[in-house]
Amino acid sequence: MAKTTIGIDLGTSNSCVAIASEGEEPCVLNNARDESITPSVVYFKEDGSIDVGMQAKVNVIHDPANTVYSAKRLIGRYFFSDEVKKAKAVYSYGIEEGPDHSVRIKIRDEVLSLAEISAMVLREMKQIAEGHVEGDIEGAVITVPAFFNDNQRQATRDAGQIAGLNVLRILNEPTAAALAYGFGKDLDQRVAVYDLGGGTFDISILEINNDVFEVLATAGDTYLGGDDFDDRIIDFLADRFVAEHKINLRNDPNAYERLKLQSEAIKKEFSKNDEVTYSIMDLARDEAGHSLSIEGTINIKEFTALVMDLIQRTFKVCDEAMQQAGLTNRDLDGIILVGGPTRLPLVRNSVQEYFQQDPKADIDPDKVVAVGAAIHAAALTCDNQDTHLLDVTPLTLRIGVAGGLAETIIEANTPIPIEQTRAFTTFQDYQETVKLRVYQGESRHAEDNEMLGEFAFSGFETGRRGEVRIDVIFSINTDGIVEVTAMDPATGVKASTELTLSSGLSQDEIQHIMEEGRANDVVTETAIGSVNLVKMPSSHVLEATSQANQAPEELLPLPSADDQLELAEDLDLDDLSGGLELDTAPAGPDLDAAPVVGLEAEPAGGIELDDFAPDPAIEALIDENSVDFEGDPDEALELELETGPSSNNRMDASLIAGDEEELELEIDESDDGLELELDDHDQDQAVIQESRDLLFGDVGEDLSLSEEDEEKPE
Amino acid sequence: MAQHLEPAEIKAFSRIIDELNYYEILEVKPGAERTKIRDAFHQAARRFHPDGHRNSAEDLHKLIDRISKRITEAYTILRNPRRRQAYDELLAKDTEEVRIPLAELEAAAEKAADDAHQGTTPNGRRYFSMANNSEQQGDIKGAVRNLQMALTYERDNELFKEKLEELRKQLTS
Repeated sequence: MAKTTIGIDLGTSNSCVAIASEGEEPCVLNNARDESITPSVVYFKEDGSIDVGMQAKVNVIHDPANTVYSAKRLIGRYFFSDEVKKAKAVYSYGIEEGPDHSVRIKIRDEVLSLAEISAMVLREMKQIAEGHVEGDIEGAVITVPAFFNDNQRQATRDAGQIAGLNVLRILNEPTAAALAYGFGKDLDQRVAVYDLGGGTFDISILEINNDVFEVLATAGDTYLGGDDFDDRIIDFLADRFVAEHKINLRNDPNAYERLKLQSEAIKKEFSKNDEVTYSIMDLARDEAGHSLSIEGTINIKEFTALVMDLIQRTFKVCDEAMQQAGLTNRDLDGIILVGGPTRLPLVRNSVQEYFQQDPKADIDPDKVVAVGAAIHAAALTCDNQDTHLLDVTPLTLRIGVAGGLAETIIEANTPIPIEQTRAFTTFQDYQETVKLRVYQGESRHAEDNEMLGEFAFSGFETGRRGEVRIDVIFSINTDGIVEVTAMDPATGVKASTELTLSSGLSQDEIQHIMEEGRANDVVTETAIGSVNLVKMPSSHVLEATSQANQAPEELLPLPSADDQLELAEDLDLDDLSGGLELDTAPAGPDLDAAPVVGLEAEPAGGIELDDFAPDPAIEALIDENSVDFEGDPDEALELELETGPSSNNRMDASLIAGDEEELELEIDESDDGLELELDDHDQDQAVIQESRDLLFGDVGEDLSLSEEDEEKPE
Repeated sequence: MAQHLEPAEIKAFSRIIDELNYYEILEVKPGAERTKIRDAFHQAARRFHPDGHRNSAEDLHKLIDRISKRITEAYTILRNPRRRQAYDELLAKDTEEVRIPLAELEAAAEKAADDAHQGTTPNGRRYFSMANNSEQQGDIKGAVRNLQMALTYERDNELFKEKLEELRKQLTS
């Protein structure tokens, strides 16, 4: 007998579950209220039990602080991200920082991870399915927005596991929709899937070739959806209320949630009507205690003005995907609309105008993703698979290198599964550990990307700098999940990890949560350390005369014959608590300007050179208070000086070495702070050419260049 | 339909795959058109995509995993004219090397883009390059839109401004 498998569309606002049994039409399974979609809302009751779905959603008004909605907007994100800040500003439930910058939800006395919240919704969907089938659910495909990064995918997979599901695949929503559309039809078509959900927007361009569904390109915005339409209406109503009654409803959680529900209803009405009348009673009381209400009408013109820029934003993303796919509108055979907001004629017409063709009319935008997921789940478990999904990775996989940059390893829209190996070498003689920092995103500046994790590798055979070879293998599997393996090809010693967000849950923790039911306190531990990856130095060598014996944990790409690697330099004295770091980054095209010499000091509290750890190399440096370099003639050097924990505490200066090769960097500690002086030995004159203001807000330190150094050379 | 593969066939393919060039992996001729390469990739996926081998023994699964990753690698290089050209040049060198590291290829491309001074921010560069593409496709309006976006990231970029001016003239004429 065929195994029972399901597909779950875990949405921001609503979720949907479907089944595709052999020999039967795939179908959506209705919940106990006989509805095909179930609100992704969890209500925490006073007695510790929970409600999920419509039952929970009604409590958004009565008890907003204990009702969690739109959890998908927060899952797999860092607490410091803009998205979480936005959510904190408007959501009525408690959003707190957990360990390692993770996000936690605080409800009553419980602190929960987002994976646990999503697991509650998934468990509900599983129970809905169990009500329709005999026997156990053997496996499930769960969909995510195509543009979800690795952290968000992993957290969703964890949620499935916590819900007691055997997660067969994390599948991209638009890909699932295309599968539902083209399954069993023997098509030879190119289609665009325009997926505007409650919280996220995706566009995927696919080529369907009978049984093969190949994603040509995907692009998206993980913080753009129907919720944002609601927010615009909320603002419209709240502003009206302020104008009429001089009371800001945004400060009252109950009133705010009522506005939110009404706004959602108003938005939905625009699917059928061009004018919507609203009347919301008893939103507030005036000073005399009289009940205040708001009523009126919004017409389609006003509504259009409120949301048109959001719709336009989706087309910027479409431009991107079309370009990546190398297609124009004329190449497309069909447009598939997915997500509740695409029911709005305003959205449909805009899509029609953009693509210059009518979207497919016979597809239910709320159900199509779950149906596609169910079809894939069935295909994955049958013996003779008859559909093949060839998906892509939505974001560029990068590795951090010196200078705050991140280098491309696997480009966005590369088909998966894929693997890439890069060879690196150590930077220091007899270095024992190397560390890697892996990112996903489209910026060459590391900090603008999402950090997936860091990873230390040791146990390889040590040797002189440059003579050790370490292969780093980057792999993305069919779930779109990233794995990094480091290997010593000489000995075969290996270490690998699936990169997990530092706030993610470990297998043990998931196990623990599953055993405990709901755990109160989820604590994760991750190693924090500094990582620097430096490219191989080539002919342009700046040699530091004082060099740490063994401190840093650095890695250099192994130079190959026609390696284009340019100057790279590093004297790195970190790996000290409150360490001092001096490094130079690759020059040339990898940087906007010049080679960078960085100096970092991170004392706790104040800059006291004596406080630094007693590393012999550091002591040597401090004793002499100077470091010598060999400069490259006519190459500008840039200096970075940092102190304290904030990257704002940074000073930049640049200098021209001129014809001279010897430069001296002098560090002086005075009552006023640190003084930094760069001297050109032979000419015996300071060569600091330019300095910018220091931003030392956080620690109040006063770092400055000594005044006599500010003359320009010649 | 997934095509049934004998374990011996999988093992044999996995043994020789390191010596095959990308054309040989996909079983296409070196001069093959793009559609041929696509069809070959689809055919290879029908045979070797890991999804079709979920129930195979662990040792076979590892081999399939390796093979399928090499197939996508081959396709990733050969479907893109720029990468394919670089690869053809490598093969012409008469070396033993049959793989080209994608990462290095892309790093070189990024560098080339930088050298062309097409913007100083990632988004500026991105929209500028999208504007160029739109223009090439004859979509002047799209190009203008993309340039306007590029300018929101780099307000003072003279190149962007010049280009926008030029395109606007084209639109009005």
